[in-house]
Amino acid sequence: MPSESDLIKGCLEQDRGMQELLYKMYASKMYGVCLRYSGNAEDAGDLLQEGFIKVFNNLSKFRGEGSFEGWIRRIFVNTSIEHFRKKNQLYRLTEVQENTVEDTDIDAFNSLAVKDILALIQGLSPGYKAVFNLYVVEGYSHKEIAGMLGITEGTSKSQLARAKGVLKKALEAAAAGTGKKNPNE
Amino acid sequence: MTNMNFREKLFHYEAPPPPDAWEGISRRLGATRRSFRLYWYAGAAAASVLIIAGGFLLLGKSSGGAGSVARVQGASLPGRVRDSINANNRILRHIITTSADKDLLALNYEYASRGRKYLTVAGPDGKPVKISPKAATLIESADNEFPPRPVWNKKVDKWQQIMLSSTLSPTSTGLLRIIQPSLPNESE
Repeated sequence: MPSESDLIKGCLEQDRGMQELLYKMYASKMYGVCLRYSGNAEDAGDLLQEGFIKVFNNLSKFRGEGSFEGWIRRIFVNTSIEHFRKKNQLYRLTEVQENTVEDTDIDAFNSLAVKDILALIQGLSPGYKAVFNLYVVEGYSHKEIAGMLGITEGTSKSQLARAKGVLKKALEAAAAGTGKKNPNE
Repeated sequence: MTNMNFREKLFHYEAPPPPDAWEGISRRLGATRRSFRLYWYAGAAAASVLIIAGGFLLLGKSSGGAGSVARVQGASLPGRVRDSINANNRILRHIITTSADKDLLALNYEYASRGRKYLTVAGPDGKPVKISPKAATLIESADNEFPPRPVWNKKVDKWQQIMLSSTLSPTSTGLLRIIQPSLPNESE
């Protein structure tokens, strides 16, 4: 098994074997990221390919500051956001300040299996999904999310609150045995 | 803390990627490399053309036609061809430097342009040499120079002189003349 620096060097030299090795090391993790940001497996597959092409084409920009996996993950998150922004015309986030939206506690998610949580998140509308993933899972601030998605901080906050509300309702419905497949419904 | 748990679950979530994903990436990487290579070849070809064209221009400027004749002689040509070129050069030198033959050329050029393919003139040792009308114009414009400079070189030189003498770009003297019309002209 080559070291991380040897792997990067091999990929920079366009060694296809090393590129495949790097892919195999991170494909499962990054596909998990893609699944969170996309609505279905097909879109996630496209994001996965797009992300790895960017990783290989931009590998020379990796300066070794921070972990290599973290750098790859950022590329995949950015690729997903880029994909979202391209379709922003369709998804159109509500640019209205909604300070009255109450924060919803979704701690009940802890008792669910990760696949079930993922299924609920995938069912969110693209705008809710992007904000939820960026804030709750990746840990970005509302200010950063606003910059990334081209929205206001207030919109980011309200989208998150609404996403949580939708998720909680879906969870409650599932627990009551009348679960809807799509939590946006 | 409990919230962190579900966040971490999602953060570290892994799933087996589609089986044909690597194939697609590999194909796209190959396509990217091919297109880079194509751009590189196109760039190299363009650079080669520029270098060759620049070389011709520089050589033509620095040594005119004379240099190019000399290079043909020195090039790695088959012996038979080189001998033939050397013989032609020897004959041409004789004709150009002999005023009588040149006069003869001038007289016969008009006839040559009426359908005669060649002019026959006296070469070295009095041997007859056939010269085409194009070669005749070259010899006429040679002005006793050997090897003769191509006619176009002379024309280009003439245009260059005309352009230099009537340049519109401001010089310090020219500018002063515009400001002070009474300033005497350089050529006066």
